[in-house]
Amino acid sequence: MAVVDHLEDSVPHPITVDPRPQVERGPDGLRRVTGRRCRSCGEVAAYTWPRCPSCRDAVEQASFGPDGTVWSATVVRIPVPGRTPPYALAYVDLDDGPRVLAHVRAPVDAATATAPAIGSRVRLAACSADGDIQVEVLA
Amino acid sequence: MSTGNRTTGDGVAVHGVGTSHFGRQPERDLVALAWDAVREAFTDAGVEEVDAAWVGTVFGPAGVAQRVLRAMGITGIPVVTVENACASGTTAFAEAHEAVRTGRYGRVLALGIEQMTTAFAGAITPEDTDPEGRSGLALPALYAMAAARYLHLGAATREQLAAVSVKNHAHALHNPRAQYGGRHTVEEVLSSRMIADPLTLLQCCPTSDGAAAAVLGPATGGAREVAVRGVAMRSGAPWNHTSQHVWGHDIVRDTAADALAAAGVHAVSDVDVLEVHDAFTIGEIVTTEALGLVAPGGGGEAAASGRTALGGAHPVNPSGGLLSRGHPLGATGLAQIAEITWQLRGEAGARQVDGARIGLVETMGGGVSVLDGNACVVALLEAP
Ligand SMILES: [Zn+2]
Repeated sequence: MAVVDHLEDSVPHPITVDPRPQVERGPDGLRRVTGRRCRSCGEVAAYTWPRCPSCRDAVEQASFGPDGTVWSATVVRIPVPGRTPPYALAYVDLDDGPRVLAHVRAPVDAATATAPAIGSRVRLAACSADGDIQVEVLA
Repeated sequence: MSTGNRTTGDGVAVHGVGTSHFGRQPERDLVALAWDAVREAFTDAGVEEVDAAWVGTVFGPAGVAQRVLRAMGITGIPVVTVENACASGTTAFAEAHEAVRTGRYGRVLALGIEQMTTAFAGAITPEDTDPEGRSGLALPALYAMAAARYLHLGAATREQLAAVSVKNHAHALHNPRAQYGGRHTVEEVLSSRMIADPLTLLQCCPTSDGAAAAVLGPATGGAREVAVRGVAMRSGAPWNHTSQHVWGHDIVRDTAADALAAAGVHAVSDVDVLEVHDAFTIGEIVTTEALGLVAPGGGGEAAASGRTALGGAHPVNPSGGLLSRGHPLGATGLAQIAEITWQLRGEAGARQVDGARIGLVETMGGGVSVLDGNACVVALLEAP
């Protein structure tokens, strides 16, 4: 009945679009971020946005990774909704690709938690159960 | 400084300013906080009404500006609410200024309001529709990565980071409206609880509630009028793997260049007193470098040596800054405007910068997601 449908529709929907960069596992078993490259200026982005954020020209699909270099990193030691501190975060410059924010997969406890050194080489790992991009430090 | 044949200013002046106390005030609502600020600003300006109002808030609910103003009898006039992250208050100021400058309205109120204690239990995290927010990037972690980068490059030391906190907490001892001042040592700052490596608790701004206001109108040469020399606002260009600087540097540099040009001020070294965005210690270091007040890599040394302290050559954040006055997001920019107005009138009491003639306000805010900040506002003001 229409009135009932209308009432049911009035309940807010949860957010179903995940804004985080999407990671796909290729036939070689390695993971890459699906994003876009600008056809005009070559700028890369880890997102499927419709235009180049630098020059506004057209973009085409591209994939980046699996490896990259840590631009900077930290360990978050305060409570953040839905997460358990401490956890390590890094901005990673993917090889020939964009800078992405990633969780650093490592055994982390409050006593020993450290962030990876700036300049460390890392590789995209499986995303967390909750969908966070994760990297692991390469030996 | 020239006195006769005055050619400075762009025809707009700050006629009055006011603020609430800053701090955790969950027992007070935004009506009460805003009333403190607006009542003081109206009294200061000697006015009873305004022709329009711009209100900055980030987390305020829809319609809060009209509800707050209605409670103090300000109704019927055009009211515009603006959100520009930490620069919301200075965005309200910039828009109010432009409305007066172009003659759209005669006398305009710029108001900033924010109640953080009822919105957040701890650190701010960008919302879940933002990639970084959905990934758990609390804002201290963003600044922490800038700080880690500075340490890695040798552009600052941990002790220099801490020196910003020591300086601004000491400044706030002279500001009765500050959230908390304190006489801390570098060692105390560094040994306070780690929030996000390498930033410790005393290097992070507190959770604050507050309001601040300014009344702007045409400059008439009044003895207490603070002239607006120039204002500029930008949103961030892309920030990514090609950026030469840490997040937030380039937007401040570029906005400051616009503002200095608009003001006809040749160099930021001509500025006598500054209120800048120091939500975290590294923020003040990056900002003083981006403004050109110090050389690249010189921001930490400037704080540690006292050059940017009260009594130094270029005092930065005499109010205590966001670190110590507090940081109710929407109110912060107008709290900065109020401080610089008091400084340029010689009304800043024990934290007065002697003989200050030109003051600068800078606010920058936002998350990342390939943006070098959502917004930055830089304003230059001149003494009566
Ligand atoms: Zn492009």
